[in-house]
Amino acid sequence: MGAFQWLMKKITKVFGRSTNSLFYVLLNREILKEVNEITKNEENSLLILREIGKKAAYESCERHSGVFKFMPGNPKKILDYFEILWVVVFGSELEDYSYEEISNEGSKYNDYILTISKCPICAGYGQDEEDSFDFNKLQGIETEGLACGLCGMLESVANFILKIKRNDYRIQIIEQDCIAKGGNNLKFICKIHDYKEWAALSASRISERKSKGIYLEEDTEEEILQETKLDIIDKIQDIISIDKLEEYLDEPLESLKEKVAEIIRDKMNMEPEHFFDYFRNYEDDMIRIIGYLGIHLLNEYGGLLEKTLKNEWFSKIFGYLFKQLRNMTLLFIPLDVIRDYNKLLVSFIEGLAPEEMVDNIKLFSGKDTINYLFEGAQMALENLGIDFSELKENIWEEITKEREDGLVSSETSTADKTREKIPQLINILQEFLMIINDILTLPIRVIISESHYGIKTAINSVVSEEEGLYGSIKERFDNIFDQIQDIRK
Amino acid sequence: MNYSRNELVKTEATMNQMRNSLYILVRFMEKNGIKNSTEIFRRMGRNIARTYINYWKPTDFIKISNLKDVITTIYKNVLNSTISIEINDTEKLVIVRDYKCALCKYQYDDVEIAGCEILLGMISEFISLISKESTEPNSIFLDPIEVKESRANGNKSCLQLYRYKISGEA
Repeated sequence: MGAFQWLMKKITKVFGRSTNSLFYVLLNREILKEVNEITKNEENSLLILREIGKKAAYESCERHSGVFKFMPGNPKKILDYFEILWVVVFGSELEDYSYEEISNEGSKYNDYILTISKCPICAGYGQDEEDSFDFNKLQGIETEGLACGLCGMLESVANFILKIKRNDYRIQIIEQDCIAKGGNNLKFICKIHDYKEWAALSASRISERKSKGIYLEEDTEEEILQETKLDIIDKIQDIISIDKLEEYLDEPLESLKEKVAEIIRDKMNMEPEHFFDYFRNYEDDMIRIIGYLGIHLLNEYGGLLEKTLKNEWFSKIFGYLFKQLRNMTLLFIPLDVIRDYNKLLVSFIEGLAPEEMVDNIKLFSGKDTINYLFEGAQMALENLGIDFSELKENIWEEITKEREDGLVSSETSTADKTREKIPQLINILQEFLMIINDILTLPIRVIISESHYGIKTAINSVVSEEEGLYGSIKERFDNIFDQIQDIRK
Repeated sequence: MNYSRNELVKTEATMNQMRNSLYILVRFMEKNGIKNSTEIFRRMGRNIARTYINYWKPTDFIKISNLKDVITTIYKNVLNSTISIEINDTEKLVIVRDYKCALCKYQYDDVEIAGCEILLGMISEFISLISKESTEPNSIFLDPIEVKESRANGNKSCLQLYRYKISGEA
């Protein structure tokens, strides 16, 4: 599994509200049965369940549209990332599935058939008395099955992503085979339509429903409602797309430099040397800007950082952690390691920036670079609401003060709940420290392997993807996401 | 070989879209002239409990002494909810407060019913089914009363009320 798929799956899982899968499946069954109580027609009931799923997922996507901005905006890629769609909608891993590409002459994209050998929605259907929706009453060959609601959800999420990525294509996903209906697998057929075809298809679906006397609120999204305002994520993705993470990791340092040069030429209409010339004699500010932008980029995920820092207590805790990290970095990271990072920066900038600038950066000690980065980051955190001038020497003084003032709640239940979360918080901090340790070993490996295999080799150094640095960081983030999930419960 | 329902009991699914589906279902019912959506939601809950209990149950007997623990366990295992629970012996009420109700999160101006009406049906049926099977003389039976507060109605949490009966008591 690629880094991007893994990251998206973890994020969507952590931020979703989950219940037991059996409860989910039984609720799906009950919705279908109640719809059927009204329609008294099994085929129509399946049509309606699909529409309910579609609308439900669209509503959810609209609420969390920020998450989907990181998804690939190409219909073919979206099918490649079906695993993520499944996790977004169903919340569990997609196991044991295969693709078949069906050539579609005259169309830009081929159709796809996706076969999933195990279907959670159909699991054990028919074994209990309450499984009373009767699939034997279905007459049409082309009717969908028990997962049609899920199918509508998948279609809706896929098309929402295409919409916000300003793509003119849409995906139709149809449940072709259903285990509860007697099939061997859950099978989806995915067809990609241009916008005109899609509009015609949507109109025919609506008129089909009307002709069957199905009264359901109609779609509102059938036009491409392009957002006029581009936010910073759109702008960044114009330059670097996160779904191309793997490709970037495969590029050696020299190619990355070429890529940066191309971007500067393309987007700024100037030679890299001229661009960097603006920072000549202001090299320290350039490094501060990197720290500053780093924090603001973190905040771009739904403004989460800014919202968190609005809370006085979180703001103080974050401030103390930042101060601690700044002190620890200089105290505990060997200067050789910091020098390695400086060398890496110099190697990166050589050839792109004027020689004089490179010489000036070479004069910086590793400690200077770290300090500039932290200064920039601190400025950004001040922007986002941390008042560093208010902070005490350390967090313990702060806690003692608040307790004397009686401001910390003494309510037992609140204290108990907080205490319950302490092991998870400690584990999260510990995992982050281990990640920092892992990353510290990176620069020298990058420099050594630069001319041979690129960053990915350095990251996976020597052993394998699973056992190398990438595997180690991934495992640590797995632990962090698990701990966050525990806290959210 | 497909999954079994026993396997599903051990896994989790994201509820976000399914929760939205409930409110779309209510709108669909209203468009089709259905007025008793509260009763329908409770029936859905009862049906879920009747199937669910074939694959998992928290205990074999329920008395007033373990009622709180049993209800807390069902909310935790089935819904991933950590609730606070109060028992009013005078009025024989069970009051459940859920700050993170799995079926209610957003307020809808056009829908009056709360998704957790389903939970009222499910929890009371779960308890009653266990007690029916139990040989305990003082088994507890639960009846749903109402969803007094709900996040779907703009409240900060969901407050679900049940009335309990002890078998053998008048």
